[in-house]
Amino acid sequence: MNPRALSAGASDTFVSVALWTGTVALALTLLLALQIVLLRMALRRRERRTALAVARWRPLLNQIIIGEDPALPALAPREHLPFLHLWAHLQASLRGEASAALNAMACRLGVDTLARGMLARGARDERLLATLVLGHLGDRAAWPQLLALARVPDSALSLTALWALVRVDPDAAAEYLTPLFIEREDWALSHVAGILQQASGPVAAVLARILPQLGDERLPRALRIAESLRVTLPGGVLAAALQSRSSAVVIAALRGVLTPETLPEVRALLLHEDWQVRVQAARALGRVGERSDAARLTALLGDPQWWVRYRAAQALRELPLLSRADLEAVRASLQDRFALDMLDQVLAEEAA
Amino acid sequence: MSHPNWGQLLTDFVTWFVFCYFIALNGGYLLLNAIALRSLRIKGQELFIADLPRAYSGLEPPVSILVPAYNEEATIAASIRSMLQLSYAEFEIIVVNDGSKDSTLEVLRREFALLPFPEAYRRQIPTAEVRAVYRSTRYPNVRVIDKVNGGKADSLNAAINVSRYPLVCGVDADSILQRDSLAKVTEPFLRDSTVVAAGGTVRVANGCTVSGGFLTSVGLPKNIWALFQVVEYLRAFLFGRLGWSAMNGMLIISGAFGVFRKDAVVEVGGYRRDTIGEDMELVVRMHRLLREKRRPYRIEFVPDPVCWTEAPEDFHTLKNQRIRWQRGLAESLNANWGLPFSRNGGVPGWVAFPFMLLFEWLGPVVELGGYAFMLWAFFTGMISWQAFGAFLFVAIGLGILLSASGLLLEEMSFHIYPRGKQLLMLGLVVILENFGYRQLNTVWRLTGLLRWALQKESSWGTMKRKGTWQSGASK
Repeated sequence: MNPRALSAGASDTFVSVALWTGTVALALTLLLALQIVLLRMALRRRERRTALAVARWRPLLNQIIIGEDPALPALAPREHLPFLHLWAHLQASLRGEASAALNAMACRLGVDTLARGMLARGARDERLLATLVLGHLGDRAAWPQLLALARVPDSALSLTALWALVRVDPDAAAEYLTPLFIEREDWALSHVAGILQQASGPVAAVLARILPQLGDERLPRALRIAESLRVTLPGGVLAAALQSRSSAVVIAALRGVLTPETLPEVRALLLHEDWQVRVQAARALGRVGERSDAARLTALLGDPQWWVRYRAAQALRELPLLSRADLEAVRASLQDRFALDMLDQVLAEEAA
Repeated sequence: MSHPNWGQLLTDFVTWFVFCYFIALNGGYLLLNAIALRSLRIKGQELFIADLPRAYSGLEPPVSILVPAYNEEATIAASIRSMLQLSYAEFEIIVVNDGSKDSTLEVLRREFALLPFPEAYRRQIPTAEVRAVYRSTRYPNVRVIDKVNGGKADSLNAAINVSRYPLVCGVDADSILQRDSLAKVTEPFLRDSTVVAAGGTVRVANGCTVSGGFLTSVGLPKNIWALFQVVEYLRAFLFGRLGWSAMNGMLIISGAFGVFRKDAVVEVGGYRRDTIGEDMELVVRMHRLLREKRRPYRIEFVPDPVCWTEAPEDFHTLKNQRIRWQRGLAESLNANWGLPFSRNGGVPGWVAFPFMLLFEWLGPVVELGGYAFMLWAFFTGMISWQAFGAFLFVAIGLGILLSASGLLLEEMSFHIYPRGKQLLMLGLVVILENFGYRQLNTVWRLTGLLRWALQKESSWGTMKRKGTWQSGASK
């Protein structure tokens, strides 16, 4: 080594540490490469297995869907997962007799028992698949397992279990789970609403019963669910919510105003200090207001908030018995440039 | 008593410093990789459910898609048409013609039957003068803003001002979106009301086939520059962003496709006009201001490939792009020094920001300085050839390990390159890119850093597009 080079001790240590680090990196890279190859081989095997299972079962499933009754071979263990995937995919796009025929076929093959076993002992992805299958089957025997699953913290698993429970028994699911889906903030409201469409009647009944007992922190979500299910809430419940001190509750309640029963409360909220409440009050008035509300909405066209002006102009357009000529008269009376611009915009939107 | 050899001590110190820096840099990214691995496993288990036919409940938040356009006459109509085919419950498209010098506006007028619309323009964020707002008489959810040139950030701000919906999605006019991209990227907003922004994985479209504005088959590019970028994108998105997202420390959402809660964007003042990296700057600023206000929030990353973009295929375009990216990064960090010094800095301020500062902002200086120093020391005899060789072995070995781990994540999750040959090719690129390409990138990043230091003015980036990957395409 050059005498001027890195001092002997330091150089040796550096070279040794660097070589070891590089060797470890190289070994890890080789391991990763091996892992990648193994993963690709496993994927290929899985794809081949799936292709074979699909080739065997797809024609039979098609025959069942069109009402035939083919002889069914036994379901081989290696076919379990690809068959269940295929079956669940088909079920997701079918209704009525075809769906019932697929269910009957699955029961003949012992898919219900298989899915319950997967639900009890399977890995997470298998449990998700089993939950879907049991939901499509409407399997009452799986009710206790599904109910327990609906309470686990895992959002995907619990939400899929909720879906399955609603498929199995909408009334019982509404009774057991309505408080839960109000509580579970991790369950996307849009997903919950989509799932509950099937149980909207029973859920509405439970909601009407429990709404008066809910606190301000839970009430907005419960009201949003009611809104999504187009549930007409008892006037008393809605009126109480409209008088809440919490803006979030009032906003959620205003979105649920579908009848003129609470018209006085809605009119009072047009002057609320929170502009988001005024926005929803204007929208609600557009849905349930009367011709006489035109003056109130015209006043809102001068609101400092753009959204309040916009919704007020839209509400004016939607009021019953208010003709285009009436709106032109309102326009002619406006002095405020912002109000005028907004009404022009909304009238142009209508014309487009 | 012998005097200490100061030159030798300094050489020892610098050698060890450079070595430790490389270890820390790659070790940090490998740690992110480990975090991303867990997220991807969970995600992978839910893929089957996500692929089932979807029914909309009507409670999905509607989205305003913001499309800034500057001299895009050749592609703008096809891009908008493909965006109109996105599967989502409710969305509008707002195209902003940012004072184009070509006939972008005329094309839009003709293709979408535009008519002037008396928009009650709401100036929530100041922008350059808006000349007119148009509405398509053919598609009620398409509007066009014609404005005086003010840059991409200014265009996005103008689009935010006229948008009607609570979520806004900035999209590059030349991005190719997956049909379900909006549904996937808005998923975090449904789950968690504190989510203020979400981004998805952007992939390289070169080598793929596009038809009707959508990707129909995935392939690898033949061009070597584009191939290098395929691996780079895997690294940057799959574990770079996913790892940070798991800790709520993600500082970048790609401008090619990102969804934001509009009220949060308006609250922090919209996109900054005087920066090149307006996408990153906005995200860093959101972290800073929301943390200052102690507001609970989340910024999430969705690993699904939602957007495809054409990568530069020639040396000069690629070089300019990387210089711009580095300038953008420097501007974004420099404008938000309050974040790491905030009492409520959390992961973004105390971990992600310093990480970016040390390994991305300062990285080119230390990396290039390190290579230069080792070369100098070797040629002047300050270090032995064994030490020099060992240093190269570590630097290149760790680089390959890092890229290979990106490839592993890809194979574990989406394996969008289905053929064995493609995998083999990517494996080769993982090795090859460490012999020159990454070092070249470091030189470009250093140039970007220097240009930032010299404070040259920002403008729309020019990108030379070939579009050869659109064989038989109608995009």
